[in-house]
Amino acid sequence: MALPNKVLPGFSAALYCQPTSTPTPLTVAQLSLVASVSPIAVSGNLLPVEAIPAFGQDDAMANFSVAGSRQSDKIPTQSAPTSMTITAAWNPSDANLLLMRGDAYNGTVDRTFVISATDGTNIVYYAFNGRVSQFQIDAQPGAEAKCVFTVHPRGNQYGWSNNA
Amino acid sequence: MATQQSPIQYGKAIQYQLQQIVTPVPVYAAFNRNFATQPKFITWMLRNVHQPVYTGQIQSVKGIDRPIFQINIFTQQIEDGFTISNQILQLLHGYSGLFGGATNGFYISKADVMWLYNSYDNEDKLAQVYLDCTLDIPT
Repeated sequence: MALPNKVLPGFSAALYCQPTSTPTPLTVAQLSLVASVSPIAVSGNLLPVEAIPAFGQDDAMANFSVAGSRQSDKIPTQSAPTSMTITAAWNPSDANLLLMRGDAYNGTVDRTFVISATDGTNIVYYAFNGRVSQFQIDAQPGAEAKCVFTVHPRGNQYGWSNNA
Repeated sequence: MATQQSPIQYGKAIQYQLQQIVTPVPVYAAFNRNFATQPKFITWMLRNVHQPVYTGQIQSVKGIDRPIFQINIFTQQIEDGFTISNQILQLLHGYSGLFGGATNGFYISKADVMWLYNSYDNEDKLAQVYLDCTLDIPT
């Protein structure tokens, strides 16, 4: 098996979080290691999110101008991993949503999150360490109550792997 | 994680609840064979049973169901239909609690009734009133 080699639907992506209220996040090397990442991507660790928001890396750059040079230069700087604001259908007893609530209350819990996307056989994983902030319940009538929280990834702590 | 709700359960609950509201007027699912001899009766039809599905491979990651059932009130006198529709509005619109009785019922967060329109069928000599009722069901 290898990287999925198809264009994937958005529905193919799922978000998992490391279990327990005091997790030991993966090391930078482990975040790119499928043997470390895939045990987190199991159904018991699933976060019941509606959709996986944009993930990856933010843009940041400095613009340098040198007198006498025809073109200025754009240099990437401090481009942080993207913060993810996540919406989940709110079940007050959901164990993993309770972990998110606890993390947001604590503020300093580092936890490994894994996004998997699959074509049915092959799976690609994006794993990162992050902290949870902004835990809100939005209970507008006309649909299920929503649980909204933001995961702020730590800088330089993410990796890609696949089930090759 | 949300359980998939059963339309069979919905049907039983709707039948029971409507019957309770409009008794002694008979209530039927979809069609009434005795319409020529009955001066007043009600039929209902269920539609839009749908729980939104969310991302990932786990089947139970869904939202709540908000099914709609249409209530058709048939009467020989137009006024009777309006009276029955008012009975339904008074008892069902905004209702929150056990829906469908102890045996087949379930808890609903809200019932939202929309009075759609009334009409008259000259061939069958039946006045008609149509209402839609949306249920918000925790799952």
